[in-house]
Amino acid sequence: MRKRLTPYLFLTGPLALYFIWVIYPIFRTFIVSFTRWDGMTKEKFVGLDNFVLLFNDRYFILSLINNFKWMIGFVILSIPLGLLFAMLMDQKYPGHKVYKSLIYLPMALSFVVIGQIWSWILEPTGGIVNSFLRYIGLGTLAKPWLSDPKIVTYSLIWAALWRQIPYAMVLFLAGLQSVNKEHVEAAIVDGANAFQRFWYVILPELRPALVIAVTVNIIDSLRAFDIVFVMTRGGPFYSSSVMANYMYIQAFHNYRMGYGAAIAVVQFLITLGFILVYVLNVLKREERL
Amino acid sequence: MRKLLVLFFVLFTLLLFAKERIVINSYMSDPAPRKALAELVEMFQKKYPEYEVVVNTFAHEDFKVLLRTWLASPKGTADVVTWFAGERMRYFAQMNLITPVEEVFKGAKWEDFFPASFKSTCSYKDKIYFIPQSWYWWGVYYRKSVFEKLGIKEPKTWDEFLQVCETLKKNGIVPIAIGTKFPWTAAGWFDILNLRINGLDYHIALTAGEVPYTDPKLMKVFEYWSQIIDKGYLLPNHTAYEWQEAATFLFRGQAGMYYMGQFIKDVAPAEVKDDLDFFRFPIIDPSIPLYEETPIDGFMIPANAPNKNGAIAFLRFIASKEAQEKFAKDLGRLAANVAVAPPDDHARKGLDMILASSGVAQFYDRDTNPEMAEVGMNAFIEFMLNPKRISDILRKLESERKRIYAK
Repeated sequence: MRKRLTPYLFLTGPLALYFIWVIYPIFRTFIVSFTRWDGMTKEKFVGLDNFVLLFNDRYFILSLINNFKWMIGFVILSIPLGLLFAMLMDQKYPGHKVYKSLIYLPMALSFVVIGQIWSWILEPTGGIVNSFLRYIGLGTLAKPWLSDPKIVTYSLIWAALWRQIPYAMVLFLAGLQSVNKEHVEAAIVDGANAFQRFWYVILPELRPALVIAVTVNIIDSLRAFDIVFVMTRGGPFYSSSVMANYMYIQAFHNYRMGYGAAIAVVQFLITLGFILVYVLNVLKREERL
Repeated sequence: MRKLLVLFFVLFTLLLFAKERIVINSYMSDPAPRKALAELVEMFQKKYPEYEVVVNTFAHEDFKVLLRTWLASPKGTADVVTWFAGERMRYFAQMNLITPVEEVFKGAKWEDFFPASFKSTCSYKDKIYFIPQSWYWWGVYYRKSVFEKLGIKEPKTWDEFLQVCETLKKNGIVPIAIGTKFPWTAAGWFDILNLRINGLDYHIALTAGEVPYTDPKLMKVFEYWSQIIDKGYLLPNHTAYEWQEAATFLFRGQAGMYYMGQFIKDVAPAEVKDDLDFFRFPIIDPSIPLYEETPIDGFMIPANAPNKNGAIAFLRFIASKEAQEKFAKDLGRLAANVAVAPPDDHARKGLDMILASSGVAQFYDRDTNPEMAEVGMNAFIEFMLNPKRISDILRKLESERKRIYAK
């Protein structure tokens, strides 16, 4: 009896914290999303009003679209590039450790620092990018990276990739450790070229790492916030805004807690959808094994 | 993070309460004003040794967000907070989140300390909630040496102003600096153009939410604004810069003029400070009297302040001639206290400009409901980037106004 109870006793502490700091706030957010509330006076129940407003709010729709741009950018660029770097870093050649550290370095920085650094790099007049373009005679390509509504989101994604690619690389490097070396050697003996070895032997064995990398990147793209906050605050006029950023502005700048909560709920549900797909995928595979 | 912060302050202030401490939360995070406040606190403590003052400084934009958590938390955190007069203050007074401060005057009255004209922006329903510390004017700042070199005279009318822009542009200088990463700087332009074109009463009615944004009279404001946008007189890529970053273009002589508040001097390097001068924003319609922007900064007491008596004592000191004089001198601003003379020639010129005007406004985001201010200021930026889309932008702004003021 006692033996059975002990693990649960150990769990009560963490579970209590989890409920107070994670589960309860989620439910509270759901409740707040049905109210009009300025954060100070009494909440007023308004039913689904916030959600109706939300889907008529072009800036919210814009933020949602931007989140999907982030998702596509993260998945299409950081996965293949991360994999490429991982393959390169997995070889042993002179100085490979130096290269590995250099690529890995941005991982050690927070998005806030990266955002600040890229604000300088992309600064329109004196920034490195535009100065360099002008120097090599391609001045026409110099752009106001952070102030043109048409390109600002891509500039932010680009800055974020600086950290996201090495992140994917680390996941793949770990995955490569578990690739069975004997299979690779067998393929060499059978006369498979490098591409064939990669495509038919290594890639299938990397599948678990690939699924994790895709999922993590999708979730990261949905919760993008810090880089946007540091580099543009969602501007100019919301053109680079993402859901988390728009939620923050509505809740804490405009004092619309209910509306902000409704945004959070939408973001939560979308993220939950992706996580469910992932979890079901993993469960199915475990059943098969 | 926010919760932790609140918890931290609650614990902190509970400790302080026993010791007769006064906690001040301040947004004066630029080095110059921060130092000035610290020295004021020192003066206060020397005079009233029974109090111990703790100053918590926050970055300006963070302060705006955090203030409401301090005001709304059931247990008070700060005794005194820095803030802005006008609608920004009234918003909290309406909700009983701040305390009337009549006690500060004890036996005396408002007019013994401050100009009678300030009273309305510092009170709500005939009660005073706000103690003004300093105020300043907005003007078109420029570098004297640059104007001299190019033989430019201060423009008095809109046409002259456009000519100055043209001359600057021809000489390879961006005519007008502006940084709109934080959108309030655009509101400065909106305000002054509206004041010059439609006058103060109209502007007050608009910022109070009583005039539709689709009003034809308002369209004229954007027509004038378009003139400088279409001709490329504004700093390119201004949405990438904070106002301080845009100011460096002026300081380095790469930009010619900057419509900005006097606090631009706070961030100017020592070698250009004395080279900076300003002129009154040019006249557009001679039949409209002159009105200016003069935001008032000061302090208020949260309703949940743990040490209200201490807070009153501190504000009484802040209202005094000696404290107001010190602050005004350190920063070159105008003291709210009537007994204090302008600290220098620059401030004298600013004061003269205000005294010669027929009325003053605070600032768009200080006169307007906060939510309306946010959408309004972003709409101004959108207009600055797409001047052709103005009718569409204003139509959307109008539907926001209807929603916000329908509450």
